[in-house]
Amino acid sequence: MDDISIILQILFWGLYAGCIYILLATGLNLIFGVMKVVNFAHGEFLMVGAYITFTVFLFTGLNPYVILLLSMLALVGIGAIVERLCFRPILGTGKLNEIFLSIGLIYIFQNGAAMIWGDAWQSVKSPYDGITVPVGPLSVPLDYIIIIVVTALILCGLYLFLKKTTIGMQMRATSQNRKGAMLVGINVERIDVISFGLGCALAAAAGTLWVVSGQVFNPYMGAIPAVKAFAIIILGGLGSIPGAIIGGLLMGLAENGAAFLLGGIWKDAISFIVLIVVLVIRPTGLFGGKEG
Amino acid sequence: MKYSVLIIAALLIAAACIAGCAQQPSSTQESSAALQDAIKIGVIASLTGPASNVGTNMWQSAQIAADKINAAGGVTLKDGTTRQVRLIVGDDESTQAGGQKAATKLITDDKVDILVGGYSSAVTSAYQQIIAEYKVPYIVTGASSPIITHRTDIDTSYVFHHCPTTDTYGEYTTTFIDEVVRAAVNKKLGAASDRPFRLAVLYQDTAFGKGVQTAVGNTITKKNLNIELVSLQSFKMGESDFRTQLTAIKAAKPDAVYIAAFPNEGAPAIVQARRDIGLNTIFLNVENNDNSQFYKDLGQYGEYAIIESRFSPYIAPAGAVAAAQDDFKQAYYKKFGTYPDMMGASTYEGVFIATEGIKSAGTTDKTAVREALTTLKMPQVIEAMKDSTISFSSDFRESSFDLWMEQLHMDAAAGETRPKIIWPDNLKTTEFVLPSWYEAGSSA
Repeated sequence: MDDISIILQILFWGLYAGCIYILLATGLNLIFGVMKVVNFAHGEFLMVGAYITFTVFLFTGLNPYVILLLSMLALVGIGAIVERLCFRPILGTGKLNEIFLSIGLIYIFQNGAAMIWGDAWQSVKSPYDGITVPVGPLSVPLDYIIIIVVTALILCGLYLFLKKTTIGMQMRATSQNRKGAMLVGINVERIDVISFGLGCALAAAAGTLWVVSGQVFNPYMGAIPAVKAFAIIILGGLGSIPGAIIGGLLMGLAENGAAFLLGGIWKDAISFIVLIVVLVIRPTGLFGGKEG
Repeated sequence: MKYSVLIIAALLIAAACIAGCAQQPSSTQESSAALQDAIKIGVIASLTGPASNVGTNMWQSAQIAADKINAAGGVTLKDGTTRQVRLIVGDDESTQAGGQKAATKLITDDKVDILVGGYSSAVTSAYQQIIAEYKVPYIVTGASSPIITHRTDIDTSYVFHHCPTTDTYGEYTTTFIDEVVRAAVNKKLGAASDRPFRLAVLYQDTAFGKGVQTAVGNTITKKNLNIELVSLQSFKMGESDFRTQLTAIKAAKPDAVYIAAFPNEGAPAIVQARRDIGLNTIFLNVENNDNSQFYKDLGQYGEYAIIESRFSPYIAPAGAVAAAQDDFKQAYYKKFGTYPDMMGASTYEGVFIATEGIKSAGTTDKTAVREALTTLKMPQVIEAMKDSTISFSSDFRESSFDLWMEQLHMDAAAGETRPKIIWPDNLKTTEFVLPSWYEAGSSA
């Protein structure tokens, strides 16, 4: 393995890690952009997505990439319920309420999952396990190529949804000016439910891809990715979807670069070092506006 | 609006209830009247968090031991009374703060007579101050860093170490590499016997992982071994993505990789190394990985990996402890539907050691029990001990185990790998195999 191959390999792992972060952070930013709520339990939706994939795979043996769609659909429903029962009643009552509510949700989801699935580490074997494809000088597992392609497709789909559909345009309008959106007749509560559901579905997609990539998971897996997702959306700019994408990618690359150059213990720390550096230079984040 | 607030409140209350149910599955083993006057043994285990798999195994194994002791009549004290054993679990949540909370609760609220358990050296060392302050005898059965009893910043005289330390098994594994793996690699390469062996270490960045890494280095120096440490890569506890560190290791061209990790880390590390990185080498694992979940998670990628061991869920060394191990495994399987692991085995023994200490002291007085444990000499229980006896060294209160090395072979019926003992000569059932796909670090 020559030096160029090693660097390319590390960049590739960074790109893969970035895909998971992008999906998680984009979902979180979608919710924040529209509702302006802080949901620390977002990582738990990734965990639930992982377990739904695991369970459906266990009972049906379906291709996990097909289960991704089921997992996303299920999380749209779960997200809508959580929004309706938990976040809507406290919307606008203060950030402290949102924070404590989301901490409560973390416990509900973690312990609920532990009761249903137990808290042992689990893993799922992809049907493409062991298949590698040449990418330049590298030979990389097919699963990672699929993960990158699936992430790109989901983001393209999200872009088209936000740009071309009426609901997407209403979401953008609500995100830009909630009162203005209400004045022109947009049902913002309906938009809230859709945004929350969609954000959770993106987290579910991240969970499924996490599982398919061969990483182990348990009910407590969502905590660290959620914290990183918050770092990413602050880094990219609160409410900015392009910011979440660039931020996620940057974080994935920075983490893997740091693990290679400085050692594995710097993997998590580097996320926050990058965040601090960016905020010092540009307090609103990379793509943040005045309100960011 | 009021209705919604009620729903939120109900959800939060449900969260608290569920948290209680899931995180503390059983705060006490039993609570019948017969156990009201029982000897209280606190078991500190990781029931939640990254180490929950091993922690649950420890707690369940302790229950099997208590059942057996109680079924045999309990423990007779100096005053002639016979008392049952009652276990109380404390969940350290796989965190230092959780460990401090669990130890404090067991000592001050539950007022346990003695403590058993402790997994993860980082977690265990974090609450040792509490043990020292309250002077409660503690038989540590999972945390393997020698600092547990070697540290001098606090009083460790009430702590007894019943599991091999990282110094012990780090040296044992390094010696095995030098004597067995090196010879096989040289033979495959047709290399001269003085070819330096290229070893990489992937270790958890905690007292445990650093302890293993230090032990490897010290052994190489002490025994003047011709082993070159070509890559030292660390990761944080609970990590699940090792690809970058493994890429760095592959670039260093190792002949073998020694992994100092927990089972939930070691298994994905090997899978990612073989499947994603194409690191086709021999992986050596620390004993705590001899756990049924580890075999399951490894799948076919575990084939020909090596584990340093003293108790396996799937095999037992021929000899005096084989039948006792089988009894324990069957009792465990009957009660929990799975097989116990190594940390479970030492915790099972820890409960026997605790009761033997109390029996020898004839009282539950903590100072007297500590004295009794210091001079304890009891027959080995289910694991093979040096001189077939459990006793603690006079300097650091450490017991001495007979260890072995096992290699994993694919078992078509199980669909997973299963271990076979390959070292030392008096225990081995088969020879070490260098697989056909093995790639040495360098050709000469």
